[in-house]
Amino acid sequence: MADSFDYAIEVVNLVKSYDGVRNAVDDVSFQIRPGEIYGLLGKNGAGKSTTIKTLTTLVPPTSGTATILGMDLRKKSSQIRKIIGVVQQEEAFDFATVERNFRIYGMLWEVPSDKVESRSEELMELFNLKEIRKRRAFELSGGQKKRLQVAREFIHDMQVLFLDEPTAGMDPIMRRSVLDFVMEKAKDGLTVLFTTQILEEADYVCDRIGIMDLGRKVAEGTSSQLKERFGSLKKLVLTTTERIPEESIPRVKEMLAAVPSVTQHEVSEREITVIGKNMGKTVYSILSSLSLLSIEIDQVNLDAPSLDDVFLEVVKK
Amino acid sequence: MFRLTIRNVLVNTDPGTMFFMLGIPAFYLLVLGTMFQGLIPAFTINGVKTSYTTFLAPGIVGMQAFTAGNIGGGMLWADRRWGMFEQLLVGPFRRADYLLGIMLVAVFFSLAGSGIMMILAVFLDGAFNITIIGGLILVSMLVIGSIFFTSLFLIISVLVRTMNAYQTITFLLFFLLDFASTAFYPITPETPAALRLLSNFNPLSYIVNVVRDCMLYGVTYSTWASAGIITLLTAVFFYLSLVLYNNVHTGL
Repeated sequence: MADSFDYAIEVVNLVKSYDGVRNAVDDVSFQIRPGEIYGLLGKNGAGKSTTIKTLTTLVPPTSGTATILGMDLRKKSSQIRKIIGVVQQEEAFDFATVERNFRIYGMLWEVPSDKVESRSEELMELFNLKEIRKRRAFELSGGQKKRLQVAREFIHDMQVLFLDEPTAGMDPIMRRSVLDFVMEKAKDGLTVLFTTQILEEADYVCDRIGIMDLGRKVAEGTSSQLKERFGSLKKLVLTTTERIPEESIPRVKEMLAAVPSVTQHEVSEREITVIGKNMGKTVYSILSSLSLLSIEIDQVNLDAPSLDDVFLEVVKK
Repeated sequence: MFRLTIRNVLVNTDPGTMFFMLGIPAFYLLVLGTMFQGLIPAFTINGVKTSYTTFLAPGIVGMQAFTAGNIGGGMLWADRRWGMFEQLLVGPFRRADYLLGIMLVAVFFSLAGSGIMMILAVFLDGAFNITIIGGLILVSMLVIGSIFFTSLFLIISVLVRTMNAYQTITFLLFFLLDFASTAFYPITPETPAALRLLSNFNPLSYIVNVVRDCMLYGVTYSTWASAGIITLLTAVFFYLSLVLYNNVHTGL
């Protein structure tokens, strides 16, 4: 292991191509400080999982460099694998009961058996697996399998954790408790690289976020930095007093499309949602145009953009 | 590597696998053997008068190499199917550790299974006259045989993608190799030529012949020849499985 390092994970100009034609990861660079939770956001096929697979030594990079706790990915892959934990996006479990999965995994990671016992009890409790401890993993539902997969990873100590869409299939309560658990671990110094498509999750758990699209990192920052950077965007939600007549909807859409500062709009029977820049100024002209169309507005909400809005804006660009 | 071997033992000690590994061969030996003994009179091979259960016992012992190889090699398929192959490769193991873990578990199951079958056979027929050299060859053959069959099933695990195809192939091989070998029947000039040919091309026949010689008839030139053929075949199949295994892509 390297004696000192500034970043727990440092990725410089990483490229991964499976076929030599298209880059699944295209010139991506980012740094993650020790104890930081870094989120990679992106649509399906954006390159998040390939980035994780490369950093966890499962696939070799085509070019570029990456270090984990100061150790070069190409030169010290065996050492790296000893200090990382990985929850893959795909299901992965042994053909055994829930509790046996914990024991086997603990044994594989050379965790002393008394520690395995106490930790597995603790994790089964926390991840709500106690009632199904005697059930075979392959008999579990998708969400239960995911819970087992995530919980099992915490049976061993690690310094860096890679979580590839770890909450997929989980109910909101379990999702929140998993995220809280990860945040607790990060407070104790665990560095986490986290991918998700659920943007509120990233907003909630990540210290910093990188947005990927078509293999490239297209934006990076804290959640508030990203919102600020794309902060001229505002979301205007207008609730109508009465149902908008069906024949008026295309006219409303047409009117909104003609407003230069509007980047997105959506019109339903009772609600008009508009995302755009300088909405504070635009709102009056939109309201008067709606009034000309005999549409009365009951409520006006002008919100700061959510991470969803930022994400959509960044990916659209 | 040893931790992976223990893991492979632990995940394969479920009732289903145990039945496949020990229950079926024990059934062959105790039920089929005893039942057929009423139909088949004792016969003489290599000057040794042999009852059917005595003849069958080394066949069942030799079959353990095939069963263990099936379990060992099949682990790669199961681990790829259930995601554990990649999970283990991002853990504190090298790719070679995984392969060795599979080979070792097959050897372990082969030796343990054949040990149990031998105890059952002794219970049925009394002690076998095994010399030190015979014992050493017997153990070596079981080890080499299990590596051979593990390699064969590794090759299938790499090449076959769907669960149906994998199960059909293993099922076919199970019947073809077990029942078209010398495990259950002696191959004599009266055996139909097609079956004799099939048996002669069946690697399990050679393993069983070596085991039978070591347990019953003594080590002869033909024992060494059979052992040599299997060792050579094992080298070839192991090499092929190694090449294919190294080309198994992860992270796709």
